[in-house]
Amino acid sequence: MQACKDIRGRINLYLDNELQGDDRLQFESHLRDCEACRSVTRTEQRFLDGVRDVKPLYVASTDLRTRILESSTDEFRVQQRMPSFIRARVVMAAAVATLLLFLLPVIVWRFRERAPQPQAVSSFALMAADTHLRHSRGQLPLEMTTSAPQEVSDWFTNKVSFKVKIPNYQESSGQEKLYTLEGARLVALRNDYAAYVAYEMKGRPISLVITSDGVAKPSGGETIKAKGLTFHYNAIQGLKVITWSDRGLTYALVSDLDERGQQSCIVCHQGAKDQDFIAPLKPH
Amino acid sequence: MGDSLINEQAIAYIDALFGYAMTLTRDRPTAEDLVQETYVRAARAADKLAEDSNVKNWLFVVMRNAWLNQIRHQSKGPRFVGLEDEEFDSSTCVAEGNTNPQIIYLRKLERDEVRLAIESLPVTYREVVVLRDIEGFSYQEIATVLGCPAGTVMSRLARAREKLRGLLDSREPKTQARAV
Repeated sequence: MQACKDIRGRINLYLDNELQGDDRLQFESHLRDCEACRSVTRTEQRFLDGVRDVKPLYVASTDLRTRILESSTDEFRVQQRMPSFIRARVVMAAAVATLLLFLLPVIVWRFRERAPQPQAVSSFALMAADTHLRHSRGQLPLEMTTSAPQEVSDWFTNKVSFKVKIPNYQESSGQEKLYTLEGARLVALRNDYAAYVAYEMKGRPISLVITSDGVAKPSGGETIKAKGLTFHYNAIQGLKVITWSDRGLTYALVSDLDERGQQSCIVCHQGAKDQDFIAPLKPH
Repeated sequence: MGDSLINEQAIAYIDALFGYAMTLTRDRPTAEDLVQETYVRAARAADKLAEDSNVKNWLFVVMRNAWLNQIRHQSKGPRFVGLEDEEFDSSTCVAEGNTNPQIIYLRKLERDEVRLAIESLPVTYREVVVLRDIEGFSYQEIATVLGCPAGTVMSRLARAREKLRGLLDSREPKTQARAV
């Protein structure tokens, strides 16, 4: 009985994988011989399984993710890229900075016209990359699954404040099926919803995020002009993100495909006549 | 640790950190601010982090320190949070009395009910349950986050689970009503 009392006092340790070595062997040996303790352990295991099943307890909003990505990346740029010997001389630099402060208006005025503006990644591109990653990890399941573009377009009706039209180039062109439409869901973007459409090509996911250009405008990154549109290309967390605006909507296409990920454009531009549309996105 | 920390590792823990922030604050806007504060602090201290460090554990420590700091600044007088059940007898953590009906009952509980029960725990208990059972930290890692001995984690966790079990036992199952 004393053995049972000791063993039951260690059940949590055992189930939490905190019991090691001889203690663990002794515990397991007792369980093999004692049905009562085995039963109590099983009961506790089921209880813990029930508790652990609620994971994740909470999910951070897309807005928070965007805020973190933007603010943290900025912080890191400042902290990490500054050489250590310069950091050690911050106090000295502060004195110089004070002096420069008096000259700042003149410096700004002189260089304003000439200095190129930094090409920061847009929050929309960051949000699209993050959404793509979360979906790839299974953290963002689709709300509707279908391979029919029209069904996706219909599903978004009355759910978003803009019209989502998903082209069906594969069917109309009669070409070999190079990609698969998987489905769609809504994703939060600021105080609105954006449309998220998931594709798959050769086992690799492609994400298309659509919102109105009143909510997000593409900016930053490498800009490429083609067919009267301006595309912004960014590499974010190993992903290729292309953003652009067209006829009142802003799009982000995310993939881990090669080069600039321009192959992902195929989800809307598969026809041969569209190849000259995609070509400018290829690296020169 | 370089730029890649935020991009590859830290962001991967954002749900976990937000969950812990909600556990501590119980308020979404406050929790979001706490997450942001954590990342800012982490970014500033990242160059002190060794290459083989446990980033997740470290981020949780940073968050808890940020939270304690906020509490210190917000309260003018002493603050006592969630210790109403500290008088629980910690000498026994024997898991007895769990009979089959309880197992069956627990299985029928929806995740929301378990979540509600966790949320209604006092913060000291809620914290260890979340760190252990939701985030999967070891006792030693939890001790690092909480700044207390691993033995304290063990006893507190046992009491927290007893309390949680009691809360779940006292709830009416809603599963049957919802299952249409």
